[in-house]
Amino acid sequence: MTSSLVVAPPGAPPALQARVPPRRPLPAPEALHPALWLGHQIGRSRDPVAPSGFAALDAQLPGRGFPRRALTELLLPHAGIGEIRLLSACLAAQQQAGRLVMLFDPPAPLSAWGLRQLGLDIDQLLVVDTRSRVIPGADSLWALEQALRSGHVGAVVAWLPPRLRAERLRRLQMAAHAHDGPAFVMRELAARQRPTAAPLRLALRPGGADRLSLAILKRRGPPLEAPLRLELPPVLSDAARARAGEPLPQDALHPATFVNFAP
Amino acid sequence: MRWIAVHLPLLSLESFIAGCGGEAADGTPVALIDEHHVAAANAAAQALGVQPGLKRATALALAPRLLLGQADAQRDLDALRGVAHAALAFTPAVTLDIGVAAFHTVLLEVQSTLRCFGGPRRLMQRLRAALAPLGHCCVYASAPTAQGAALLARMEQPPPGTTRHAADPAALREAIAQAPSWLPGAALPHRPALQAMGLGTCGDLLALPRDGVARRFGAALLDELDRALGERPDPRAWLALPEVFDSRLELFARADTAEQLLHGASVLLARLVAWASAQHAQVRRFTLRMQHEARHRHDARTPADTLLEVALAEPSNDPTHLQVLLRERLAQLQLAAPTLELFLHCADVARRPPPNAELFPTPRSEREGLARLVERLQARLGSGQVRRLVCLDDHRPERQTAQCRAGEPPPAAPGPRMAMPPRPVWLLPEAEPLAEREGRPLLHGQALQLLSGPERIESGWWDAGLVERDYFIAQAGDGALVWVYRRRLPPVSAGDGARWFLQGRFG
Repeated sequence: MTSSLVVAPPGAPPALQARVPPRRPLPAPEALHPALWLGHQIGRSRDPVAPSGFAALDAQLPGRGFPRRALTELLLPHAGIGEIRLLSACLAAQQQAGRLVMLFDPPAPLSAWGLRQLGLDIDQLLVVDTRSRVIPGADSLWALEQALRSGHVGAVVAWLPPRLRAERLRRLQMAAHAHDGPAFVMRELAARQRPTAAPLRLALRPGGADRLSLAILKRRGPPLEAPLRLELPPVLSDAARARAGEPLPQDALHPATFVNFAP
Repeated sequence: MRWIAVHLPLLSLESFIAGCGGEAADGTPVALIDEHHVAAANAAAQALGVQPGLKRATALALAPRLLLGQADAQRDLDALRGVAHAALAFTPAVTLDIGVAAFHTVLLEVQSTLRCFGGPRRLMQRLRAALAPLGHCCVYASAPTAQGAALLARMEQPPPGTTRHAADPAALREAIAQAPSWLPGAALPHRPALQAMGLGTCGDLLALPRDGVARRFGAALLDELDRALGERPDPRAWLALPEVFDSRLELFARADTAEQLLHGASVLLARLVAWASAQHAQVRRFTLRMQHEARHRHDARTPADTLLEVALAEPSNDPTHLQVLLRERLAQLQLAAPTLELFLHCADVARRPPPNAELFPTPRSEREGLARLVERLQARLGSGQVRRLVCLDDHRPERQTAQCRAGEPPPAAPGPRMAMPPRPVWLLPEAEPLAEREGRPLLHGQALQLLSGPERIESGWWDAGLVERDYFIAQAGDGALVWVYRRRLPPVSAGDGARWFLQGRFG
């Protein structure tokens, strides 16, 4: 790189060439400012992260884990595709550190036994239901914001209302700066078309029995072309999993592929 | 002996403005009327020429926008008690100097507690900090005698942040000699006579023959000066803290909204916190009573007052936290009629060692912060909306999980002892009937692939919730795992409903 840089004209006296200072290596951008990283590298954060418990996923996340003091956005087609199993190791680690996990507006009743089997401690778990009562003139995200701002909660998982406005999410992201732990927000898959304030955005799809297909839509680093396939903590025995057929590809039955063979 | 006097020159005005809510903004001229004459006027009113002693009509002619209130000695005394309660946190020897109605002074004897609070300077800082939330303008002075400290505090205001201080009796005598002669309470009625005689300072008075002074101005004046100089004993009755806190605030205008109420209630809350801090206790439960205007009680069904009880899971002494809780509760309240008077009552406090002020978060401070967060959420959302899950020993999926309110002790469950095959995290509120094709269940039109099972659950014959089901783990069309069951006994007739049901999803 330095040899191709010609500062002095070829005919110049050698003294002028010698005065060109030797080029120093660039300092690492993350050393200059925590928000900087090189575009072709995965960003490294100086803040500690919360490992996800999946080595393949950690390798693709900046800092090798879910960020703390920031939102992680998960886009799902519907509840019950393995999202809790994806987060269970991270949430359980927070609980083992003596911190509380709060769930906001879970979309269906939770089974305490199911959570226990995933290694979660249900005594360290609070479920907050904010939508059962209409609060006049109040923001339904108030409770989530309070929990993030307080900084006393270990981990937060929130199921956000559909078609959330971008500035609401930005407000939550600002509140998450005070939250020393991972914060997950679950949104519908259609939200992928719209920009997000969260620094990490993942799209989840079922990937077959006990598997999850995970696409990283946004991260500090280059985009990831192919989705990751993660082996979730198993529900099925090995024999039962071997019986399971491959799921139908989501986009296989495109209307245009049907051919009318009728005469 | 070392006495600190806290003089509140504007107490009457401040206690009146506290009940005004938003009406008395900064810069509004306010005056208090006593027997058709102005008794006190704030700075904005004095700038317009309204002076104490003017007639009501004159004052209104000078300042048409003048906000006039009635002077009320009881209201002033309530506010003064709040200050005295805050002072009780520093010494048990606190007394009110209420000999003269126009002067509001709280006296503290602090010699015995100086070391505990780290010296006079630190004590004064903490006293200022403790009185600040009450929102009064305070003038401080310290002297070896009670009456002397009170006299010094009433003198012309020192620069803000400083304290007039007399270290020994000689310095006190010197300071009192320079005080205006009408400053002792007994000299106040004789102010014109004193000025006419050219007696400008207390020093002039003290230089005169005593019998002459006693004949002209009464023995009480000499008595007061002697007590101020420490030449005569000055026994005082200490203020005792009431066991139960009760304070009232009359609102100047009817309050219709929660915001208007909150302004008045925050004044009462500051007094409550002062009362609790004086006994090193923390508030566990308090009641706000809102008395409604009688004229607006149209029928007998409208109650005379509304009670709002706020109970705290974690006893607290933090005025902002108490205020947040009260605001959330007031916001949900529907007032039956406009409110004229507020009463705050508290009898339930927790006496325990004060929390350590920690620099770094510790598990204890985090637990308390969490309790406050939960309390705040419950105050706004309702106490039933923040829940914990409890595992129950039952095989029926719909009865395996109980929910209880956060903060409540869980129902006496012996704790789960059963071993169980994998259970889904998500349960449907009601099992969803599934269509069936060639003996296989369908979900959203696609056949489910049964992967594991059957697991038979047959239970509940004893409590009318009998279930007889065979559970399977199945893969839905998109690859997600679901939990379905087949009724053990097939339906008797075709109209008896479906045979397959969706119970849950593996999240």
